[in-house]
Amino acid sequence: MSRLLVVDDEANIRLLYAEELKDEGYEVVTAATSAEAVEKLQGAVFDLAVLDIKLKNESGIELLQKLVKERHEMPVILCSAFSCYKDDFSAWLADGYVVKSSDLSDLKQEIARILAKKAAKVSK
Amino acid sequence: MNLDCCWSREVIEQADCPNIQGGEEDLLASKQQRNLEKCADCSLFHRSLQQLYTESNPLAPIFSGFLDEFRRQKSQIQSLVSFLDNKTLEIRFLHELGYVLQSSVDLDEVLSVALTAITAGKGFGMNRAFLLLCDRDEGLLKGYLALGPRNMEEAGHVWNEIVRNDMDLQAMAQNFRLNKLSSERAKFHDILEKLTISLDDKEHILIKTLEGKRPVKVEQAFQHPNVPSELATLLGVDTFLLMPLISRSRWVGMIIADNFITHRAITDEDMHSLETFGFPVAFAVERAALYDKLQVELSRVTEAGKKLKEQQELIVRMENMALVGRITSSIAHSVRNPLMVIGGFARSMLKNSPESDPKRTFIESIVAETRQLEGVLDEILNYSDSLYPTRDFWDVNQLVKTVLRDTGEALSLLGYVTDFEPGDDIKSVYIDFKQLSYCIRSVLQNDIAISGDDRSISISARNGDGCVLLAIEDRSRHITQAQLDHFLVPFSETRDLGTGLALALCKTMLEKQEVPFTATADEQAGICYTILLPTRKEEQS
Repeated sequence: MSRLLVVDDEANIRLLYAEELKDEGYEVVTAATSAEAVEKLQGAVFDLAVLDIKLKNESGIELLQKLVKERHEMPVILCSAFSCYKDDFSAWLADGYVVKSSDLSDLKQEIARILAKKAAKVSK
Repeated sequence: MNLDCCWSREVIEQADCPNIQGGEEDLLASKQQRNLEKCADCSLFHRSLQQLYTESNPLAPIFSGFLDEFRRQKSQIQSLVSFLDNKTLEIRFLHELGYVLQSSVDLDEVLSVALTAITAGKGFGMNRAFLLLCDRDEGLLKGYLALGPRNMEEAGHVWNEIVRNDMDLQAMAQNFRLNKLSSERAKFHDILEKLTISLDDKEHILIKTLEGKRPVKVEQAFQHPNVPSELATLLGVDTFLLMPLISRSRWVGMIIADNFITHRAITDEDMHSLETFGFPVAFAVERAALYDKLQVELSRVTEAGKKLKEQQELIVRMENMALVGRITSSIAHSVRNPLMVIGGFARSMLKNSPESDPKRTFIESIVAETRQLEGVLDEILNYSDSLYPTRDFWDVNQLVKTVLRDTGEALSLLGYVTDFEPGDDIKSVYIDFKQLSYCIRSVLQNDIAISGDDRSISISARNGDGCVLLAIEDRSRHITQAQLDHFLVPFSETRDLGTGLALALCKTMLEKQEVPFTATADEQAGICYTILLPTRKEEQS
C-alpha cells in the first residue's frame, strides 16, 4: 500500500482528500503546515506528497523546494486553486500539477500515473 | 647743362618718357609725381646728373647720395607694401577659414576644410596633406584622411580644374566633402592604413612633434636620424612638414604636408603661417569630434529615456497585474476551496449511497451545481488572466503539438481525429504562450454543439507576410455565421458547465494581443478559424 502525505491548510479539504484517497487504497497522512509536514516526514517513508501551493501564511512552493532538495526520491503533486501557477517556473520542480476541483478524478489519475512511473523506474 | 629734359618740364607727351606705361597718363601732367615715381630710375635723368659731375658741380655728389638713399628707401617701402599685401591676403584667408571652421560641427566637413586650405593655391598651396587623428581609446595616432594628387598627370588635371572653377575656400571644401572625400580616402588608403603610431611611442618623430607642440620641417628625411625609414618611404618625399594639432594641451592629431609634385621648398614663412592655422583647425576638429560624441551620447540618453518610459509603463502594468493577481488569487481561494469541499463531499456521499436512496437526487443537484459554479469560476479567472498578456517569441509548431497532446485523450473519447500540418522553417511568433494555448484548446473543445458525422479537425501553420498563419478547420460543428458571432460575444451564452465564455474569451485574449482572429461558419462545411500570429515585435503596439 502506497503512503501519501497530504499537506493543506484547510481541515475540510484534508478530510476530503484523506477519505477519497483511502477509498482508492492509499494510506494517507495529513499535515496542516510546512512545519507539521517536515515533522511527519522525519524518519518516515512516503511514496508521494500532495501539496497545496498556498498554505496559510506560507508558500507551498518553498516547502516543495525543501522536499525536492531533501527528499528528491519522493514525487510531489502540487494542488492549486487556479491554473496560472502551472506556468510559474518554480512550480516546474513538482512532478505533477492539479487544479483543485470537487471532482478528484484528475488528482487520482495523476497520483496513479506518477506512482506507476516511479515503480517502473525502481524495477529498472 | 641742358635743363630742357623731360624731367624738368611741367607737362610732357607720352613719347617723351620711355618709362610711363599705358594707364599712367596722369603722370604726364604731374612733374613732381613723375619725378618721384619714374625719374629716379630713368637713364635720361642719370645722364643729366652725370653732366653735373662733368661740369664739376659740387652739388653732384650730394644729389647722387640723395638719389641712392631715395632709391633704397623706395625699394624698402615696396618690399613692405608687398609684405603687407601678402599678410592681408593671409589674414583674409585665415578669416575665411576661421569662419568656415567655426560654422561647422561636422567632423568630415571640418577636416575637408582643413585639408583643402593646406593644399589650395589660394591657401597654403602645399601639394599633399595627410591628416592623422588621436584615438585615445586605442592609444593610437591613426591616418584618417588625405588630399592631393598622387602623380604629375593627376596634379595637372586637378589644378586645372581648380583654376577653371575659381571657387572660394568654402565652395572648394564643400565640393571635396560631397564629391571627393570617399574617393580620396580610398586613393590614399594604402598610406593612411600604415600611418598608425602608438601614442606611447615617445621616440617616434610624430609623437615627439605632438609633445613639442610646434610644427617641424623635416628635411633629408631618408637620411634623417629621427625619421623612421618606413615613414620616409611611405611618403616618398625628402622634405615634409609636421603640424601638430593641439587643443587646450590635448593632442587632437597631426597634419603631414609636402610638395610631392612640385618639390617647392617649404619656407619658414610657410611654417609660421601653418602654425597660425593649426590652432583653429585643432580646436574645430576637437569640437566636431566632441559634437559627434555628444550626438552619440544624446542618442544613448534618448534611447535610455525611451527604455525608461517602457519600463515605467511595464511597472504600472505589472502593478496592475499584481493587483489583478492578488484579487483573482483571493477569489480563487475564497470560492474554490468551499466549492471543492461541498462538491467533493457530495460526490463522496453520492458514491456511497444506494441507488434507492431518495436523498440521492438532492445530492446529485449539489454535485451538478458545484460543477457549474466551478466552471464559471474557471472562466472568470481565465478572463481576468487575459487582461495582461505576457508576450515573447515562441515556436508555434511546438505550441500546437503541446495543445494536441494535452487535449488528445479528451478529443479521441469524443471520436475526433486531429491532423496537424506543421509549417516548414516556420518563424517564431511573438505571443503570450499560455493564452494562445488556451485559445487553441478552446477552439478544439468549445461549447458549440457537435452536429456532423465528420469529426475531423485539421490544423496547419505556414509563414505569411510578417506573420504566421494558423488555420484550424473544424468539420464537426455546423452552425450559421450569426450563431457563431453570438458565441464570440462575452457572457452572451450560459451553458451547463460555465458561462459559455471560451470562444469569446479567445477573441478577447487575441484582440488584447492585437492578433487578428477570424472565425467563419458554414452550415455544411463547419467552422474555419484563422489566426495571424505576428513574427515581429513592432507588429504590435
